[in-house]
Amino acid sequence: MNPSIFIEDDGDILVNVRLVNYTLYISEQDERFFSPWGPLTYLHPEKDQRLTTTNYFCRLDKNLNLQNSTQVKMLELHKPIWEFHGLEDARVVRWNGDLYLIGVRRDTTTNGQGRMEYSKIELDKDKWTATEVSRVRVPAPVHEDTSYCEKNWMPILDNPYHFVKWTMPTEVIWANPDAPECKQVFTRETPSSPKDQRGGSQIVRWGDFYIAFTHEVALWRNYLNQKDSVYRHRLVVWDKDFNFKGLSKEFSFLDVKIEFCVGAAVYEDDLLISFSVADNAAFVMRTPRHVINEMITEALAYVG
Amino acid sequence: MSVESLVIDLSLNTSDPIKNFALGEEYEKLKQHASAAGFFLRAADYGYKSQPLLTYTSLLKMALCWSRQNDRNATVINTLHHAIAFMPGRPEAYFLLARHYERNKEWQKAFTFSELGLQFTIATKNSPLPGYVEYNGPYCLMFEKAVSGWWIGRKEESKALFQHLLDDHKMAPEYVYGCLNNMKLF
Repeated sequence: MNPSIFIEDDGDILVNVRLVNYTLYISEQDERFFSPWGPLTYLHPEKDQRLTTTNYFCRLDKNLNLQNSTQVKMLELHKPIWEFHGLEDARVVRWNGDLYLIGVRRDTTTNGQGRMEYSKIELDKDKWTATEVSRVRVPAPVHEDTSYCEKNWMPILDNPYHFVKWTMPTEVIWANPDAPECKQVFTRETPSSPKDQRGGSQIVRWGDFYIAFTHEVALWRNYLNQKDSVYRHRLVVWDKDFNFKGLSKEFSFLDVKIEFCVGAAVYEDDLLISFSVADNAAFVMRTPRHVINEMITEALAYVG
Repeated sequence: MSVESLVIDLSLNTSDPIKNFALGEEYEKLKQHASAAGFFLRAADYGYKSQPLLTYTSLLKMALCWSRQNDRNATVINTLHHAIAFMPGRPEAYFLLARHYERNKEWQKAFTFSELGLQFTIATKNSPLPGYVEYNGPYCLMFEKAVSGWWIGRKEESKALFQHLLDDHKMAPEYVYGCLNNMKLF
């Protein structure tokens, strides 16, 4: 499960929850209890090698209790031909009146090439149904067109069709929601980052700043050549022109080795942050403004 | 306590095996088995030195979670083997393994692990576990032995065991029905 939160103009709190057919097995601490395949494994059904994603659109009340949920009915445009099925890690945005799930799809080629896709969603708030009505597969910008996997682009909530593709250095790109077209808008130099900052939440306007939660990955193999990893997050701060201003210290939400944040939204002066723990549990955390401000202050002290 | 309360409590000390176990149990009640298994694994990982019974129970509950998800046999078996290796002197993991094999029609393995488990049912040192793991007592292992025994040529032994269970043991209804149905085979 992986949730992306979004606040509608009418105040509705929407969350897209990515549901997966696997359980992520992660040994922690001294890694005393390996799975049959090591300390970190995707436990998919044994007779079904696919890692399948379905998406559920939910509405929360002001206390963040679940009010409605419905599986997003996706268009059947092709037969999946790689083992990762479905639209993964979709972020929710509404731009110029249109609601989108924007995530990565890897099931259209036999080698799992990933590209970002816009899925335009028709959400009936009375019947609470969600239906994909159109889809655009976004090519990589021309200068990176041969890349294997494009994912985790962070949509800029108040700048339609613009994304932060890379964080440090910062690269902002524009992607056409109606046709397979994408171009680089600008890049900005930044200090060096301690680790590659990968995309996370949407980009949120916060006073004079833009902020987002990124993630960084430590990936290694143990002496048995089995993979293992730790994900941690940071808050990134830009000014209104996307000049880099700061990077917080790394943090985690519940100290679990793998967590992933793909949602942030301003709500009643606070920030709602949505994240998954080990892909197995989804959370929305209401974070007071002063806490975010303290994190920004910490980030602004970053010198690289 | 609700999941929300338990998560907030856990956030105050994320490596506390008892708090992780409590959250796992709450998810288990909600039948959210992936979430439950993840927190039980954390309870085991963080508790194996300080909370052995909780760790053992967590391992059994992980196996139950994956069993309920279906088609994760290797992981179910592996987790039960972890439990046996961790506390080889207790009967519950042998029972769950025997039942797993019985349900998968691996009769000899079911019989073997039933017999192994029965060796540990009279241990006076077996303290109650901190959570329910579907083991109701020694009769569960006897039942598995009786069922699997029939399939490996021990018909008379199996019949006698079913009769013994019906005559001398107070069992949960599903076990009573199971015994009665199996007795019809004879």
